[in-house]
Amino acid sequence: MKLKLAFIVAIFVSLISITFWELYWRNQEKIPDFDDDKGLWAEQRKKVEKAGSSSTVLIGSSRVLFDIQLDVWEEKTGQLPIMLASPGSTPLPVLRDIVDNTSFNGTLIVGVTPGIFFSTTYPEAPPWKRAQTKVDHFKKRTYAQKLNHLLSLPFQENFVFVSGSEEKWSDDIDLGSLLSRISIGDRFKSLEPPFYNFSYSRIDRNTRMSERTVNDTTFANTIKKVWFFFGSQSPPPDKVSTIAFFNDYAAKFQRRGGKIILLRCPSSGALKQGENAMLPRQHFWDSLVVSSGLRSYHFEDYETLKNFECPEWSHLSGPDADKFTANLIEILQKDKILANLKK
Amino acid sequence: MLFNSLGFIAFLAIVLFFYYTNFLSWKSKKGMLLLASYIFYGLWNPFLVILLWISTFVDWTAGNKLVYEENEVKRKFWLILSLVVNLGFLAFFKYGNFLLENFVLAVNSAGMAYEPQPMDIILPMGISFYTFQTMSYTIDLYNRRVDPAKTFLDFALYVTFFPQLVAGPIVRSKDLVTQFYEEKKANVEQFIWGTFLLTLGLFLKMVMADTLLAGSSDAVFNSGLIPHSLDAWAGTLAFSGQIFFDFAGYSTCAIGIALMLGIILPDNFRYPYAAIGFSDFWRRWHISLSTWLRDYLYIPLGGNRFGITRLYAALIITMLLGGLWHGAAWTFVFWGALHGIYLILERVLKQRIHFKINAFTGIFLALGTYFLINITWVFFRANDFSVAWNMLSSMFFLNNEENIILSSFAVLKVFLVIGLTFICHWLLRNSSVRSIAEKSSSWALGLVWGAMIFLIAISQTSGEQFIYFQF
Repeated sequence: MKLKLAFIVAIFVSLISITFWELYWRNQEKIPDFDDDKGLWAEQRKKVEKAGSSSTVLIGSSRVLFDIQLDVWEEKTGQLPIMLASPGSTPLPVLRDIVDNTSFNGTLIVGVTPGIFFSTTYPEAPPWKRAQTKVDHFKKRTYAQKLNHLLSLPFQENFVFVSGSEEKWSDDIDLGSLLSRISIGDRFKSLEPPFYNFSYSRIDRNTRMSERTVNDTTFANTIKKVWFFFGSQSPPPDKVSTIAFFNDYAAKFQRRGGKIILLRCPSSGALKQGENAMLPRQHFWDSLVVSSGLRSYHFEDYETLKNFECPEWSHLSGPDADKFTANLIEILQKDKILANLKK
Repeated sequence: MLFNSLGFIAFLAIVLFFYYTNFLSWKSKKGMLLLASYIFYGLWNPFLVILLWISTFVDWTAGNKLVYEENEVKRKFWLILSLVVNLGFLAFFKYGNFLLENFVLAVNSAGMAYEPQPMDIILPMGISFYTFQTMSYTIDLYNRRVDPAKTFLDFALYVTFFPQLVAGPIVRSKDLVTQFYEEKKANVEQFIWGTFLLTLGLFLKMVMADTLLAGSSDAVFNSGLIPHSLDAWAGTLAFSGQIFFDFAGYSTCAIGIALMLGIILPDNFRYPYAAIGFSDFWRRWHISLSTWLRDYLYIPLGGNRFGITRLYAALIITMLLGGLWHGAAWTFVFWGALHGIYLILERVLKQRIHFKINAFTGIFLALGTYFLINITWVFFRANDFSVAWNMLSSMFFLNNEENIILSSFAVLKVFLVIGLTFICHWLLRNSSVRSIAEKSSSWALGLVWGAMIFLIAISQTSGEQFIYFQF
């Protein structure tokens, strides 16, 4: 029968072409990993519903995401923390969500990246909207979306060609991204430099900087250009309303027995200089610490935290993140903020 | 649940397994299809399945009364009850916010300060489709044009049949319910052809609409800028392609999935951008809606039976309501009005200008029709009239301000895809996918099919909704 043969040819052609596509991209040093999208975030957020008073939840932006390694944390404390930090996002909408919509009263570690934390409380501003979109997705996701996410995980884990990302990285290899990189003429040129994916994510959202970012200076420089671009585009910080918003929800969280800790992760190079110039510590971080009255940990204040170098100025390499996490936990345990449940 | 999702592929595999097992009777298989259809819908929002149940129960009851009741007053009562329930759901869920907004606007312009709480109503997916489908059943029974469904199960499955539940084709009871009376099984050829149509539909949606065109259309219409003329045209043409591939893709998937079950659904699109004139366009675009509007609105309004004025009024009212069916916004009403005006002007011109349509005049008229249809798409896509006006004024070189939004490649891509789409529609305007496939060799068909699967696999779109789900 004519259609039978066509069907067999179609299956054969599609399998061969997909296999070649997969092998080609693996040959280009792509490896399968999970897309750190809102579905993955929502799965972690779900865990907060059942988290007890001994649990730890991490919120903040990408520095907490990269610099805190969950395996090390689990090894040192006997408990896997819940990672809710999110790249380019202020932690404030997530804090509000946890305070308003859960009864969680464990330990909440809030990463403070000055340029993002003190940026805004305006709902339409990107740092807010990125976080709020994830919160909204958790609240509104349908059973169909949950099922699709669940079914996509084995594919994401095992195949490179399943690589469409929510972040729309400049080196994504889905058809739309490949086409968008074709450039002819100079009719319109985006001012935004290309932003390549520089990390790998696990199903529990543990995120680790890629080896290439550590070893290839040219590649790391492309990421630095992106920080320059974002820095130059950022509106002036809104210190008063961000601190007021944070303090309000931090106080509510503490009233129900929760412990809340502020954490400033390392930055280096020109980015750190820019942060010091635009968002000086005494005016921003110190104000936040004093007005909130919370326990706080700034990397510059601790011998074991301050000597790290970020390959692209903003995040730690995988091995350094392991050390940073271990050293931080040691300090937190010494201060009796964290216990080691394994003991 | 979306056809372009892994969840649906798993869902379909389970449905097909039970459908083709030998241990279930036909009645049990229909029960399984009904349950699957509720799951298909409920996975989006389980509570809104209740609306389907109410609609099914009311129309089943009204339908039975309309069959056996002889008293005309009582028959009218049952018809009105069915219409009130169905249109009531539509009015509340789809037009509630729109009606409130316009009421507030009217009250405020009359000098009265009134600011109600927003109603925050969820729009049930596909409510316009299943409401129109089930209403056609009671109206046809009232007019004694069809026989009632034999069993409640057959009727409930007609209302809820998952391949076409949320975005059509809107099927009449005589075309679908009757297929449920005897056991249906796709033969091997039908099953494979159904699989091909499902692949083709997914290709149209995921590759053509979402990957190749949606980005350019969204970039221009959502830019908030007055676009350069070339960008305005590229954005509009991209949307004309996006909406066609998106909706035709859904319909093709629906027809293919039904065929895999041995059920035949009618065509919903016949190369609409090759239409010569607007009446021809509506014979080719969303055919199941245009025939519904013709049979249940245009003809009852008088159609062409009561003189020219009544005919024009019927046309305009039908198209205005057709516009409103698509969305609760004045831009959709205006879109409908434009189509109504086009249809009237076409009739006037046809009466006064007579010439033979050959290949040359035909393609000229088809291009003209496509050009004017693109003007209407601006109102369909724009979020408000100011965006539409900015787009149109740029398209007709009336703006001094010029904002370049799309890259050279993006513009080229849109013109290339749309140009090829138009040529394909023109060349295939009197044929069908099936007839083309039959003329092709198995190897060529297999290669094209395999290439479509490959492109779907590497498109990796993250399950974008079909545009028509919101209608």
